[in-house]
Amino acid sequence: MRPVAVIGTGQTKHAKARLDVSQPELVREAASAALEDAGIRPQDVDAVVISNMELFEGRAFPELWVGEGAFAAGKPCLKVATGGTSGTSACIAGFHQAASGAFDIVLVVGFEKHSEGHTQTGMALTDPFWDRAVASGAVGNFALSISQYMSARGVTEQHAAMVAVKARRNAANNPHAHLQMPDLTVEQVLESRMLAHPVRLLDMCPQSDGAAAIVVASGNAARRHCRQPAWVHAAVTRHDQPYLGDLDRRLVTMRALRDAARAAYSEAAITRPLADIDVAEIYEPVTYAELAWYEALGFCEDGNAGRLIEEGVTGMDGELPVNPSGGVLSTNPVGASGVIRVAEISAQLMGRAGSRQVPGVRTALATGYGVYAWSDVIVMRTEKP
Amino acid sequence: MIDPTDEPLSVSLDMDLTWRYAAGDAMTRFLEDVGRGRLEASRCDVCGRRYLPPRPFCGMCRVRIDGWVAVEDTGVLEAWTVVHLPIRDGRTGEMRPSPYGMGLIHLDGADTSLNHYLDTAEPERLTIGARVRAVWRRDRRGAMDDILHFEVLS
Repeated sequence: MRPVAVIGTGQTKHAKARLDVSQPELVREAASAALEDAGIRPQDVDAVVISNMELFEGRAFPELWVGEGAFAAGKPCLKVATGGTSGTSACIAGFHQAASGAFDIVLVVGFEKHSEGHTQTGMALTDPFWDRAVASGAVGNFALSISQYMSARGVTEQHAAMVAVKARRNAANNPHAHLQMPDLTVEQVLESRMLAHPVRLLDMCPQSDGAAAIVVASGNAARRHCRQPAWVHAAVTRHDQPYLGDLDRRLVTMRALRDAARAAYSEAAITRPLADIDVAEIYEPVTYAELAWYEALGFCEDGNAGRLIEEGVTGMDGELPVNPSGGVLSTNPVGASGVIRVAEISAQLMGRAGSRQVPGVRTALATGYGVYAWSDVIVMRTEKP
Repeated sequence: MIDPTDEPLSVSLDMDLTWRYAAGDAMTRFLEDVGRGRLEASRCDVCGRRYLPPRPFCGMCRVRIDGWVAVEDTGVLEAWTVVHLPIRDGRTGEMRPSPYGMGLIHLDGADTSLNHYLDTAEPERLTIGARVRAVWRRDRRGAMDDILHFEVLS
């Protein structure tokens, strides 16, 4: 396998409803921005990967409708749709295409336009025999798992509220972010509407319209086009069993994420994640998930996630800033959200993250998450592998 | 179809369709049993894990499952919530009344848990570790909602 790197990133302004653009136009915004950032032309792109949860917007073949927006006409193009991990899995597919020698430059574009569809209903259209009868959507399913997680690990509503505050305050430094709340307080989070005990409105991610893109290049192409590429050191994806009640699919267990992290850390020679990683962009659709991911990703021992957020270890000035972009809690166009994670750490490694830049980033982590069943873990560095 | 407002032009589409899904061996047997007021888990011959919902394959051992074992309609509440957010029923498209209780229930005799509704008449009794029992519908028809919900045992 050849070394591969990200050499450019692009994002739209993410918002509750981008009524000003159609889906192909939204995709073009991110794709053009990524090509411009990489300093390449559309004809330099050898292949395109598109990420989108097609059922949410209720239309088939999104890659056909938006393909021209992603400069895909006349080129190899494929689509990835794996729930919340769609975007990170699309990035990993792009990495594999460039690493295999099949293509030198691959454009990966993820997008979602939740305002044009029915996300919660789309989430409920699962296994027609079991899950549909007892579906309670993303919020209800999270709430269930969270009740068990809080009881097992001593995490409190205050800890979760601190995650909400960190995310929305960080988002205020990110011009692309959907929810920017620089003055949000823990009290305001705890007073927000109860959606499903113990999950409150401000504990949950929004539904956003948005697109994000990265330009992936093989080693030689990366050197040719970019002074400081963001090199891929590990890219791991894991799938798990189908039902919510399966024992390994809980916030307290999260076998898929733990397995993916173990494999990625081994590949990238990370032995002390908290010390070895300089910045992380993790896929946290709900505040409590961020705390559970701290444990599953080895940032702390099981049971210490609350302490990590209390002590500011994952804040912008902490030992390991987590989600300087504001994360999924501030912006969630699902098909784009995984691409945003990779775009954000790439920008951090390239020194192009603007006012959310963490100084001196050399090793960065991105994750993807989908309904407990999918997990992606990606490690990137300034140094070529 | 064209939305006559000051906002940028958009179009709205509606449709009313029926989908039909084959149940397969495992779910057919399970739903027929449910219609008779019985619960059975599928059991992997290799690892012995008793799966509920039942399934035709063991994901961990990567083999076909043919074994079945009876499971009680009582168990332990592993996780619970009361959902206030309205959601559309994934079978009918109708809005489901809220609030409603949801639990992860580890039934006696199974190795996995199932998510199902909880009786919320006395919400203070919903605690992790509580013993619960299925409340069955009288007019069963071989579907998951032949169990109305689970109630906490005193």
